[in-house]
Amino acid sequence: MSWHGDPALMETYALGILDEVHSSSIEAHLLRCERCREAIARHVGRDRIEGMWAAIEERLDIAPQGMVERLLGRLGMPDHVARLLAATPSLRLSWFGAVAIALAFATVAARAGSVGVLQFLVVAPLIPLAGIAVAYGPRVDPTYEVGLAAPMRSFRLLMIRALAVLITSMALVGIAAIALPHLDWTAAAWLLPSIALSLGNLALSSYWSPQRATVGLVAAWTLAVVLGERFSSVPYAAFRAAPQAAFAMIAVASIVVLARRREAFDTRRGR
Amino acid sequence: MTGLDDGNGGKQRVRLQGIEKRFLRTRALDGVSLDAGTGILGLLGPNGAGKTTLLRILATILAPDAGEVRLLGRNPSRSRDRLEIRRRLGYMPQEPGFHRNFTAFEFVDYVAILKEMTHRPRRHQEVRRALELSGLESVSGKKIRALSGGMRRRVALAQSLLGDPDLLILDEPTAGLDPEQRLRFRDMVSRLGEDRTIVVSTHQTEDVAALCQQVVVMNAGRVLLTGAPRDVAEVARGHVWLADGRDPRARLAWRTAEGRHRNIGDAPPGAELAEPTIEDGYLLLVGERAFSEAA
Amino acid sequence: MERGADARDDGALLEAIGDGDREAFRVLYERHAPWMLLRLRRRCADPNVVEETVQDVFVAVWRRPGAYRGTGDVAAWMWGIAIRRLVDRMRWGARRAIAPARLGRSQPVLSAEEQVLLGVEHGDLAGALNRLSPELRAVLEATVLDGLTTREAARLLGIPQGTVKTRLMRAREQLREELA
Repeated sequence: MSWHGDPALMETYALGILDEVHSSSIEAHLLRCERCREAIARHVGRDRIEGMWAAIEERLDIAPQGMVERLLGRLGMPDHVARLLAATPSLRLSWFGAVAIALAFATVAARAGSVGVLQFLVVAPLIPLAGIAVAYGPRVDPTYEVGLAAPMRSFRLLMIRALAVLITSMALVGIAAIALPHLDWTAAAWLLPSIALSLGNLALSSYWSPQRATVGLVAAWTLAVVLGERFSSVPYAAFRAAPQAAFAMIAVASIVVLARRREAFDTRRGR
Repeated sequence: MTGLDDGNGGKQRVRLQGIEKRFLRTRALDGVSLDAGTGILGLLGPNGAGKTTLLRILATILAPDAGEVRLLGRNPSRSRDRLEIRRRLGYMPQEPGFHRNFTAFEFVDYVAILKEMTHRPRRHQEVRRALELSGLESVSGKKIRALSGGMRRRVALAQSLLGDPDLLILDEPTAGLDPEQRLRFRDMVSRLGEDRTIVVSTHQTEDVAALCQQVVVMNAGRVLLTGAPRDVAEVARGHVWLADGRDPRARLAWRTAEGRHRNIGDAPPGAELAEPTIEDGYLLLVGERAFSEAA
Repeated sequence: MERGADARDDGALLEAIGDGDREAFRVLYERHAPWMLLRLRRRCADPNVVEETVQDVFVAVWRRPGAYRGTGDVAAWMWGIAIRRLVDRMRWGARRAIAPARLGRSQPVLSAEEQVLLGVEHGDLAGALNRLSPELRAVLEATVLDGLTTREAARLLGIPQGTVKTRLMRAREQLREELA
C-alpha cells in the first residue's frame, strides 16, 4: 500500500498521539505532498479555521496602506479619525511639498531685505487659508455628495479636517519663520492673522462657496497689508498691536458665526 | 439598524408633493409629485429631465424651493428628521468620486465612518459584507485607481449598501456598464428591492422593463406619466405599426431586423398595428429628443 | 462554498495575492493553514500561541507575497516563516509542549518512502530516535528538521543556547552508538 493516504496514520498524527519519529516523517512529507495536506485538513475543525481567518482579515483591514494614516496612527490618533483625515487633499505629501517650496522661496526673499520680510508675512497666513480651502467641499472632495447623504455632520468633518490642516500648516510656517533674518516680534506676527483668515474662511463658506470665500479673503488681506504700508509711518503697519487686536476679534466673530450657521453645511447650495 | 418599520404605516416610504427647484434662470423641477413604497421605482427620462436634481432631493442633500417631501415618514427640512433619514439611507451619485489612493476596502470603510460606525470590528465586518454583496471580495485590497470603470461603479454601489438601508437612491447605476455587467447589476438590485425602497434613475428603457414595479417618466422637470412599466407601453397602443417603408405620417420610424419598418405616430387607418413596447411608449411621451439620445 | 476547487497552483496564487486578490489568499489559506496548525501544535502547548502564529504567517504572506522567490515548495517557504514566527512569539513566555505521551498503540510499519525520508537504510534509526529522551529529541527536531540555528532553537525550547549545543552533541553521540 502506498504511503499516501494512510488514513489511520494521518489520524493519529492529527490527534497528536503518534510517536515523534513518525510525526516528524509525516511533517517532512506534508511539505511536499498536496494530496496529504488536503487529507490532513479534514482533521482540523472548521470553526478553528474560520476563527483564525476572521482574525487574519481583521488584522489586514486594520492596517492602513497610506503614509498619512500610518503616521497618524503612530501618533495615537483613533483609526476612524485618521481615515477621515487621510482623505483630505491638503494633508497629502504633494500638498506639503508645495507648501515647503513656497515657504522656502519666501524665506530666501526675506533674508534679502525688509521688503522680503513683509512678503513672508503676507504669504504665511495664506498657507493655512489655502489648505483649509481645499480640505473639504463640493469641488475638492470627490466624495462630497456621498458624505452629505451620510449621517455624520458635514460640519464636524469640516472642523476635524480644518483643525488638522491649521495645525500642520502653521507648524510648517513656524519652522520657516525660524529661518527669518531677525528673530524679533515679526517672526511671530503672522500667527494671529493666520488664525483669523482661516476661521474667517470657514465662516464665509457657510454663505459662499469655499473657493469664492478664499478668493475674497486673499484679496482683502493683500490689500490691507499694502494699504497699511503705504499710508502708515511705521513699517509692518498691518502687523502692529491694533490690527492684531482686530484679527483676534475677527477670529472670535468667525467662531460665533460658525457655531450659529453650522447647519448650512448640511445640504448643497446651488446645484 | 432599524428594521422595516418606516414609522408611516409601512406603505409609503417616499412621498413628494409639488416639488419645485430652480437654478438661476433654469427650472429644474416644475411641480413634481410621486409616491413610492417597497420595491423598485424607475425614473425614466432623457438627460436634463431633472432626474439627478430629484434624486438629490430624495437623498436629502438638496432642499426644494417649494413642495413637500416625506421620506421614511420624516421631513428632511428638519435637522433632526434629516439625520434620522440619513441613518437609513443609501445613495449612489451619478458620478461617484473616489479618493484614488484608498483601496476599495479603505474607501468603503471611509464611508462607513461617515455613516457613524465607529466600532472598528463591527464596521469592518459590515464593510466586508457590502463588498461581498457587490462581488468585490477579490479586489478589496486593490487601490481604486487600479480598478476598471465597471469595478468602480460596484465600489460606489457597495458604499451605498452599508448599514442595510431602507431607502436606496441610485443615480444612473447602469451607465457605462457592458451588457454582462448590466445583467449582474440588475440581478443584484432586483434582489435588494425585495424588502426595501429603491429609486433608480436611468435613460434605458430595458432597465425599467427588467427591474421596476413602478415607473415615473420625466421630461424638462415635469412628470409625464406615473404607473407600471406596462402603462408606459400602453401609451403607444394603436400608435405603432409595421409597414414596408418609412411612413410619412410617422413621427419616428426605423427598420427592424426583419427588414420591415416600425413606425410610431398617428397610425393611418387599416395599418398593421404592432404590440407596443415600453420603448415605443417612452419615445412617444418624450418625443424626438429622447430618440436622438437613445440612438 | 467550494474553495478547494481553485485550479491555480500555489505560485500562481501568490502572484494573484501580489495584486491584492483576497480570494486567492483565501484559497492559499485553506490549503496551508490546517497542516501548519497541526505542525506548530507539536512545538507549542499553548493553542492561542499556535493560532496567533498561523495568523502571523498569513498576514506576512499577504503583505509580502513577493518574498517567495519562485523556487522550491511554497509550503516549505511558509513553514520557514511559521517556525521563526513561533520562535518570536516564544520570547513572550509560552512553554514548549512536552512530547506527547505514547499511548502504546501498535507501531505502524515504516514505508519505503519514510525510510528514505529518515535516511533509514541500515540499522534501526527510527528505534534509536524513539529511544532518545524527549529533551534530546526536541533539540534534534528543532535544529535538523526545522532548520533552526542553535540560538533560535534555544528560544523556542526555552533553554540556554549552551544547553542546546550540549544536548545536540549528546543526541548525536547516542545515535552514533546505537547505530554502530
